[in-house]
Amino acid sequence: MVELKNVDVYYKEGDVEALNDVNLRINDGEFVFIVGSSGAGKSTLLKLLTRERTPTNGRVFVNGYNLSKLREWKIPKFRRSIGMIFQDFRLIPNLTVYENVAFVLRVTDRSRRFIRQRVPYVLNLVRLTEKARAYPSQLSGGEQQRVAIARAFASDPGLIIADEPTGNIDPELSYEIVELLKDINKCGTTVLMVTHEHDLVKYFGGRIISLKKGSVDFDDYIGGNNEE
Amino acid sequence: MRSSNFSYLVKQGVVSVWHNRVMSFASFCILMVSLLLIGLAVLISIDIGIIIGNIEDTNEILVFVDESVSAAELSYISEIISSYKDEFVDRVVYISPEEALASEREWYGENFFVLFDSIGENPMPSTYIVSLWDITKINEAVSRFEEIDGVISVSAPFDFAEILIAIRNTFAVIGLAILIALLIVCLVIIYNTTRSSVFARRMQISIMKHVGATNAFIRIPFFIEGMFIGILAGVASWGLTKLAYESVVSVFEEDIMLLQIFGISNVVVFDDIMWLALAANCLAGALLGAIGTVMSMGKHLKV
Repeated sequence: MVELKNVDVYYKEGDVEALNDVNLRINDGEFVFIVGSSGAGKSTLLKLLTRERTPTNGRVFVNGYNLSKLREWKIPKFRRSIGMIFQDFRLIPNLTVYENVAFVLRVTDRSRRFIRQRVPYVLNLVRLTEKARAYPSQLSGGEQQRVAIARAFASDPGLIIADEPTGNIDPELSYEIVELLKDINKCGTTVLMVTHEHDLVKYFGGRIISLKKGSVDFDDYIGGNNEE
Repeated sequence: MRSSNFSYLVKQGVVSVWHNRVMSFASFCILMVSLLLIGLAVLISIDIGIIIGNIEDTNEILVFVDESVSAAELSYISEIISSYKDEFVDRVVYISPEEALASEREWYGENFFVLFDSIGENPMPSTYIVSLWDITKINEAVSRFEEIDGVISVSAPFDFAEILIAIRNTFAVIGLAILIALLIVCLVIIYNTTRSSVFARRMQISIMKHVGATNAFIRIPFFIEGMFIGILAGVASWGLTKLAYESVVSVFEEDIMLLQIFGISNVVVFDDIMWLALAANCLAGALLGAIGTVMSMGKHLKV
């Protein structure tokens, strides 16, 4: 579960109020699109949810952690309970596809046996079994993002946060990526996807949270075109 | 942490030496030169200590005894002087008046010695030549010897002793300062060299932080990498130190004049401390490499 209560974020540098009295609640198992123009506060919201920063005022709860009061040494443990997907994929270039996915499991100190079982499973889920030995530079943008999705899902987190995951790939592949995230969501994982691609949002529908000038401008469900 | 994951991280550290080979080579060269300079500085300061010690050993106090003193009293004086062995006395040698006269005769030559013969009787007193193992206590030694019954005077080269003490203390301070300065310079250079290497891998560090890696987990491969380069540099600098040091010592050994001036015959023989030097070089290299690398990561770990 994700919950923000009366959250303000104020950047001293530049004298900017990035978020202003934001209240949100996202229940377990939901799939939510977060939209908004540049400067609306999307990046700040993600930084709060990944505990890259703390709010100036208010409280942030993610997966049972009160991030406003979370001690530095507990951050790694918290981050293991979420999966992150980035617009620029952020795969480690000198590791193979298999190693990139296995890497997150090593970080969480999983056994070698578990890694040997889990990595092929998630690579199969994103249909990249054949590319297990390839390096990121040998993959297309869409394939790299699928590896990033596999990596985010490998540790079976309760929440996946996708920061514009379709921003660096061909438009026709964007739908495939969102489909993949939807499939993961069906397994019970909460998915929070930040995007500025309105066509995608209209196509898939569901809960949409729109940010505008640091505040929640719209938070409701819409029907998707794919349901027609 | 599981041993399998730890061994994976160790392997990653070693592999990344090759992946970042240009920066690794730069770090290796800087560490090697720094360790060479540190090694030579240490060896030279030890040698200077030994040389000064050799000169100190030739620094003797002369204790002159009254001619009326009996053989039993002479033996008593010898016992008292020797009783200070724990405090400052190293060696005590007795020179009888006859031996002293013979020595003078040898020194001045027969022609000049006619003057002594004209006096008739032997003018030389019984003498104890005392060398000290701690030259800083020369004043104390002289005053103690003067208090002994039967001693008529004590002669000591105070000025020479003071100069030696000052030289030794100055070299000790300079040697320590050079060592500390070299270590700091070495750390700063390693820090700057590895910082660009770490900067190139900041994305990797950021990914590790986002997937929940602890700082310790992230540091391990970098730590191993720095240590590995440091050990290689330690071995290489050890070989270079041996070559450079032995070349310098051989120059002194070939020149009899320098040998006599500096009393260099007792300096450190590299082969005697070969394994100790290798271990010290590897340890210093590993520590400098690892600390320099880990220090340069600080900012990137704050994600």
